[in-house]
Amino acid sequence: MHDESMNGEVLVILRHAPHGSSWLREGLDAALVAAAFGRRVTLLFIGEGVTALVAGQGAGALGQKGTQPTLEMLAMYDIDTLLVERQALDERGLGTADLLLPVTTLAPPELAATLAAHPLVLNF
Amino acid sequence: MASSEIYRYLDVAGQHVPLDPEGFLINLDDWSPAVAEALAAEESRALTAEHWEVIEVLRDFYARFEASPAMRPLVKAVGQALGPEKGKSLHLMRLFPDSPAKVGARLAGLPKPANCL
Amino acid sequence: MILHTLNRSPTESRVYRQALAAMGPDDRLLLIEDGVQGALPSLVRHFGELDGQLFALREDLEARGLAGRCAAEVLVVDADGFVTLTEEADKTVSWF
Repeated sequence: MHDESMNGEVLVILRHAPHGSSWLREGLDAALVAAAFGRRVTLLFIGEGVTALVAGQGAGALGQKGTQPTLEMLAMYDIDTLLVERQALDERGLGTADLLLPVTTLAPPELAATLAAHPLVLNF
Repeated sequence: MASSEIYRYLDVAGQHVPLDPEGFLINLDDWSPAVAEALAAEESRALTAEHWEVIEVLRDFYARFEASPAMRPLVKAVGQALGPEKGKSLHLMRLFPDSPAKVGARLAGLPKPANCL
Repeated sequence: MILHTLNRSPTESRVYRQALAAMGPDDRLLLIEDGVQGALPSLVRHFGELDGQLFALREDLEARGLAGRCAAEVLVVDADGFVTLTEEADKTVSWF
């Protein structure tokens, strides 16, 4: 957890699944804006938020835009550090192989260390 | 997202192309190279091969990610597609003065970028 | 030290568990709005061992008639106390 790459300036916490609400999209938008202005951004997926990373998602039933293109775009904004709460994956029977992008999983004590390490924490 | 407010029409070879107040296409499907030429001509720009290759990068970015890039990701995408010499903001500023992400997106028939300066 | 605020009751939302999971050993938790329900003696157990680090906002307790019903281990602060907690923290993280 003391890897330099984990100590970005802005931590965006994503706690919501795609489609059910706009929280995930708003959080990703905030991350993209911060990155567009040159801030180093780390994403932390916890709870239901980990389902945002599941591979094979589509558009919503009413044609809402899917999350997958936005997730694939993160690297173009140099948002490369994706952290995932390991327990949230376990609870849902998911593993990192089920996810769209490479991630680092965090055990419970590492969650608090991650929040402490970022000067700005935005919770979505 | 594309604005839905029609502000005026651009005439391109008998086609009336609706534009929003900032000159972005209302219907992204209306785009063609001729539309890009007409949009550029309105601002007294002539599109060169160097413009077209960036427009191609922009359209490819939108096809992949369903969003128009801000400046930094545009620089990165141009660098990846056209090489490090062209993946520089200076090069893009020269081609699309003032705001390359915004001007480029407009000419490439993409929505206005959400977070550009 | 981070000040975490929580505005949901533990009986109504599991978000308090995320807040607890994200708390460091010195962090503080302030219950606000509907979160103050968690200050009741029968509910405070949801927060485990937070002695000296669990706060509730007086104004939100009073508005709900809960001001005199808090568990003893909950530290009640008023709006000025909220400001002080914020000033003492490196940053504030909201859980909602």
